[in-house]
Amino acid sequence: MLSKSAARLFFLGGTAVFSLVFLALTIDTLRQIPKRSNAEDMTDAVKRGHDLWTFNNCMGCHTLLGEGAYYAPELTKVVERRGKPWIRIFLKDPEAMFPGRRKMINYGFNDGEIEDLLAFFEWVGRIDTNGFPPEPDLAEKIQATQVVTRQTTSDHKALPQPEMFRTICMSCHALGGKGGVVGPALDTVAAKYSRAQLDLWLKNPQEVKPGTSMPKLPMDDTVRRELVDFLLSYQGGNE
Amino acid sequence: MKYRSQKIAWLFFATSLVLLVLQVLYGFIMGFAHMGYDVFHEWIPFNTARAVHTNLLVVWLLSGFMGSAYWVIPEEAGRELVSPKLALVQWASFVLVGVVAVIGFHFNWWEGRKFLEIPRPLDYLVVVNVLLFIGLVGATAWQGRRFTTTGITLLLGLVSAALLYLPGMYHFDNQVHDSYFRWWVVHLWVEGVWELIMGALLSYLLIKLTGVDREIIEKWLYVIVGITFLSGILGTGHHYYYIGAPEYWLMIGGIFSALEPLAFLGMAIFAMAMMRKGGRRHPNRCALHWTIGCAVLSFVGAGFLGMAHTLPQVNLWTHGTLVTAMHGHLAFWGAYAMIVFAMIMYTMPEMTGRNCYTGWIPEWAFLTSNIGMLAMTGAFAVAGITQVYLERKVGMDFLDVQDAVQVHFLGLVLAAALFALGIALFVWNFISFGLPADDLKDEPDQTERQPLKEAVT
Ligand code: HEC
Ligand code: HEC
Ligand code: HEM
Ligand code: HEM
Ligand SMILES: [Fe+2]
Repeated sequence: MLSKSAARLFFLGGTAVFSLVFLALTIDTLRQIPKRSNAEDMTDAVKRGHDLWTFNNCMGCHTLLGEGAYYAPELTKVVERRGKPWIRIFLKDPEAMFPGRRKMINYGFNDGEIEDLLAFFEWVGRIDTNGFPPEPDLAEKIQATQVVTRQTTSDHKALPQPEMFRTICMSCHALGGKGGVVGPALDTVAAKYSRAQLDLWLKNPQEVKPGTSMPKLPMDDTVRRELVDFLLSYQGGNE
Repeated sequence: MKYRSQKIAWLFFATSLVLLVLQVLYGFIMGFAHMGYDVFHEWIPFNTARAVHTNLLVVWLLSGFMGSAYWVIPEEAGRELVSPKLALVQWASFVLVGVVAVIGFHFNWWEGRKFLEIPRPLDYLVVVNVLLFIGLVGATAWQGRRFTTTGITLLLGLVSAALLYLPGMYHFDNQVHDSYFRWWVVHLWVEGVWELIMGALLSYLLIKLTGVDREIIEKWLYVIVGITFLSGILGTGHHYYYIGAPEYWLMIGGIFSALEPLAFLGMAIFAMAMMRKGGRRHPNRCALHWTIGCAVLSFVGAGFLGMAHTLPQVNLWTHGTLVTAMHGHLAFWGAYAMIVFAMIMYTMPEMTGRNCYTGWIPEWAFLTSNIGMLAMTGAFAVAGITQVYLERKVGMDFLDVQDAVQVHFLGLVLAAALFALGIALFVWNFISFGLPADDLKDEPDQTERQPLKEAVT
């Protein structure tokens, strides 16, 4: 049977051959990475964002490109998922967006640092990752098995959803059965509140109801008017 | 104990156990945080607890490997350690670097790269320390009378582990490069050169405990570490699927990493076969349990559970979920923690002259820690698979999914309590062995004097 010297040869030879193949593949990979990761778009802001990311060990709670810890959301596509306005508000005060839930550290980032992190996330989101993170492939099948009780899209009276509503409010509120669960569903607010009340509420919830977990969200007057119009129009609200 | 200087190993083993206990405490902090009781958030946020947990793991395993090397190398080389005094210095500086790093993690002083969190300035100290260590065992081996395969494999593993630390010290701006070379350390350690260390210690223990002829054991050692590198080097590709590296890694990483379990299977079969073949019934059964347990559980944790998520079609969904944590726990426990425990259990009676390897304490330490760890793996598995389905397949929000799997972390913490009980018993056992004595056992090993006849091929 196999002799000891043959076994040694197998070990040394195999190791040498496969190390060389690995080095060759590494060289080719290094050649391809700049293109696949759009290295030319790595501005100083992206690099500063990357340094903030490593300096604070965000990877100790989050995954990025699927690497890191399993305590907080995967962030590769966070800009696509949440949008920049949402992330800006969130990074200013993480607890505002998820009151009473799992805690992130409040780093007290200034506006410049937040823009750097956003630039970094945006750049990461465009890396060619061979399809990670994947699209949920069971979602459609599950929806297909459920009876549709409410036809939200054909509600002809409702105004189109403002951008702000989709990106910010929906993360805490549900509408038509979709959205977050931090705050109450907003389907029936039109019946509960007047225009003035809603306007006041959105301007500063803390003033109307001190200690509420709805945060004061930065928005200008036109956006606020749009939101109130939309809420009142939804589900045939009484103008 | 053949050489007086071998007893330096005791310091390293004691250090290992102290750090392990700390690691487990930080594990509990994270377990409770996942359960919704993040009570230490203000002082020890999750990322601190995690960095401490995993770095302590690496440091205590390395400490165990170093202790084992200081024990094995003099014996294999046939001489005293070249300088026990310097070995003491090496131990002290190693502990110092480890302690400073862990304290630093509590003050946001780290590098934010998983498993390689130790900040750059300390990295240089690690390098100096490891050079000193390699110098000491290397010089001992060099000046010794003989070069055995076991000794050489162990040294080769230690030297390559030191070399592979270097790619992890470079700073990259591009996250993809950063990740690419992080795996040169993390993957090529645990699925490459550390397996050399494990294989060498395994064959040392099998030679001592089963009495099978050294030539046969060492031949199979070559075959197994050969398979390790043959599959493990290109197997690195299983970490390159989805980080921005080229698409061919899906194929290469998939095929070669799927071969990696063979090396672990080889070790398990090899250990079982040698145990059966060995005619000698060494009185230290407990050391044999840990040795065989290591070979078997490393196959289950690294081989089987690694295989479960290594194919790209599966990994696309499980990548970066609690499924990885499930595999990480049993793999590290089975392969590396258990080999260190086996070395401790084998060397302590030799070192102290006390036979505390019989009775209920060592037996229950073995049983409860292993059952506890298997149950922990189960809890992680259920949580992980649920997470994959709800978050990745159905598209539910991350935090809602975490709420849904919270209950499995109650299971995790209960299992971890059983595990911790086993560790406590083991530590108690270690303490009851007492300090190393000075009596030397001069007679050469029975096996080396008269190789067993029935051990053919
Ligand atoms: C961070 C989560 C969060 C975000 C983001 C958020 N809300 Fe709220 N909202 C809440 C909570 C919590 C309440 C319940 C407040 C209370 O009763 O104390 C609430 C209450 C309300 C109410 C009153 C509902 C009722 O039935 O009484 C309205 C209207 C409302 N929010 C509108 C909005 C709009 C419009 C936006 C987007 C600009 C928005 N909210 C964004 C958390 C949020
Ligand atoms: C202690 C753990 C922890 C650390 C450290 C941490 N995070 Fe988070 N992060 C969380 C948790 C938990 C959430 C989920 C939302 C919540 O409950 O606040 C989150 C959410 C986020 C989100 C929103 C993701 C989404 O899809 O909702 C972003 C963006 C984010 N974190 C960025 C960062 C950055 C940047 C850093 C480093 C500077 C960081 N985090 C460090 C725990 C952490
Ligand atoms: C003793 C040996 C092993 C140990 C200690 C070990 C440990 C680990 C750890 C800690 C991780 C997480 C790494 C990180 O995300 O930074 C990991 C990931 C992984 N391991 Fe292992 N492993 C071992 C062997 C194996 C083997 C033999 C296989 C394949 C057959 C394997 C397959 C994988 C895969 C596919 C991942 C990536 C998971 C992901 O995408 O998130 N491992 N391993
Ligand atoms: C009381 C016992 C333990 C508990 C409660 C525990 C718990 C945990 C938790 C909650 C995580 C973090 C997962 C996340 O990122 O969300 C973790 C990570 C980890 N633990 Fe433990 N642990 C324990 C013991 C151990 C032991 C004994 C080992 C090694 C043998 C170990 C090895 C690891 C590794 C390698 C990781 C990183 C996993 C990865 O990145 O995939 N743990 N542990
Ligand atoms: Fe790997």
